[in-house]
Amino acid sequence: MLNLHKLVNQLRYMFKKLIYIFILFLIFSSCTKCKNENKGNFSEEFNIPDSVMYDGDLAISEAAINDIVQNISSPVEMAALIKSLGVPFSKDYLATTDYVDSYTTSFKKAIGLGVFGADLGYLNMYNKTGSVIDYISAIKTLADGIHVGQFFDFTTLKRLATNNQNLDSLMYISVQNFNQMDRYLRENKRSSLSSLIIAGVWVEGMYLVGEVARKNPSAELREKIGEQKIILSNLMIILKNYQKDPNFKELIDDLNEIQDMYKNVIITYEKGEPEMVEEDGMLVIKQNDKQFIEISNELMVKIINKTAAVRNKIIQL
Amino acid sequence: MRNSYLIVALFAIFILNNNSAKAQSGQELVDLCNIIADDATYLKDFQVKLDAAKPGEEKPNMKFSVVLSKSTQYRFSICNSKDYPGKAIVSLYDNNRLLGTNYLVATGKNYPSFDFKCQSTGVYHIFIDFREGEQGLAVVLLSFVQKL
Repeated sequence: MLNLHKLVNQLRYMFKKLIYIFILFLIFSSCTKCKNENKGNFSEEFNIPDSVMYDGDLAISEAAINDIVQNISSPVEMAALIKSLGVPFSKDYLATTDYVDSYTTSFKKAIGLGVFGADLGYLNMYNKTGSVIDYISAIKTLADGIHVGQFFDFTTLKRLATNNQNLDSLMYISVQNFNQMDRYLRENKRSSLSSLIIAGVWVEGMYLVGEVARKNPSAELREKIGEQKIILSNLMIILKNYQKDPNFKELIDDLNEIQDMYKNVIITYEKGEPEMVEEDGMLVIKQNDKQFIEISNELMVKIINKTAAVRNKIIQL
Repeated sequence: MRNSYLIVALFAIFILNNNSAKAQSGQELVDLCNIIADDATYLKDFQVKLDAAKPGEEKPNMKFSVVLSKSTQYRFSICNSKDYPGKAIVSLYDNNRLLGTNYLVATGKNYPSFDFKCQSTGVYHIFIDFREGEQGLAVVLLSFVQKL
């Protein structure tokens, strides 16, 4: 009788244990689901202690920086312009990924991330999947180095590039991953790194357009280089916020030289009335403004040369 | 008695677990919007979640600023979460003027996307609110259509 009672107690104990294990399993699976949703959503899951947070005085607060202009430099648009002009692809324009392991500081990693991001956009635009793997590997290494590698879906990108299929997805996922990194950095008081990625994308995009313009001059490319006066002034507002950091100071000084050259680029406007029309069922807003960009060939070459020098300095070891 | 507490806890977790699976995430909306954007190339997404307007107060809204380039056609695609009643209204401004919106008050027509033919490089502002000030969750996708 006593043995039977013992056995019942043991069974009860085991049953309770099983329930606890089951509850733990449910909680765990529930949290995993939350985590996956957050990953692409509002980026709240990771709270990594970070030595690279900028702790100097900021002229513009981190919160205000989030309100400042987004999409300052887009690797897609620069590459799309080059491709639309019928300019053939050239691997010579791209930054080498050979020395990525030697990018040791967060500053170098973040700005390098931007440079390789722009190159990846150029490769994707021309469907050069063979070279893409080198660049996504480099990006993954640098992203891990500043604790944002979790947003870069290396496995999927590598599979898409290796199989040479679904190239639209390759572009979509890679651009989106960069946006997720940017959003996470901004939301976690690491906007200094976000601004460096943007700077890297801009410098490399300018370098690509500049090098193409050297070999294949065109009015469109000259205008594109001229209009960067507006983009650079926005980028400088963000970068100058961190000028107390010596690395930032050096970058700002370099870009200041380019900005000084841009003082001689004249941009004028003729305002028109915007209109909304329906074309094939699609609502289209036509701006009807006119913008005139005046830049001499001589000045354009000077800007291209200076940009190339700044870019080569960024990727040098 | 203690076992019955455990069963209730188990049931509650199961219900919570099941509900979270049904909620539409921001990422799902971005993916959905990318399909609506059709053959345009994704550039940026803006995720907005706003509470319902309080009586007597202005509708809450969110503002994003972007740089858009001359001679470029962009597409703005709007996706509303099915978990909230609000339908997003997206208004595009240059420095001081309204250029257009996806909701035409005169006709009451709401467009899921619109194109913008940009003729001047500069900073543009996107304002997003929800019709009638309802609570809502939406994603607005900015994508590149073509050089003009």
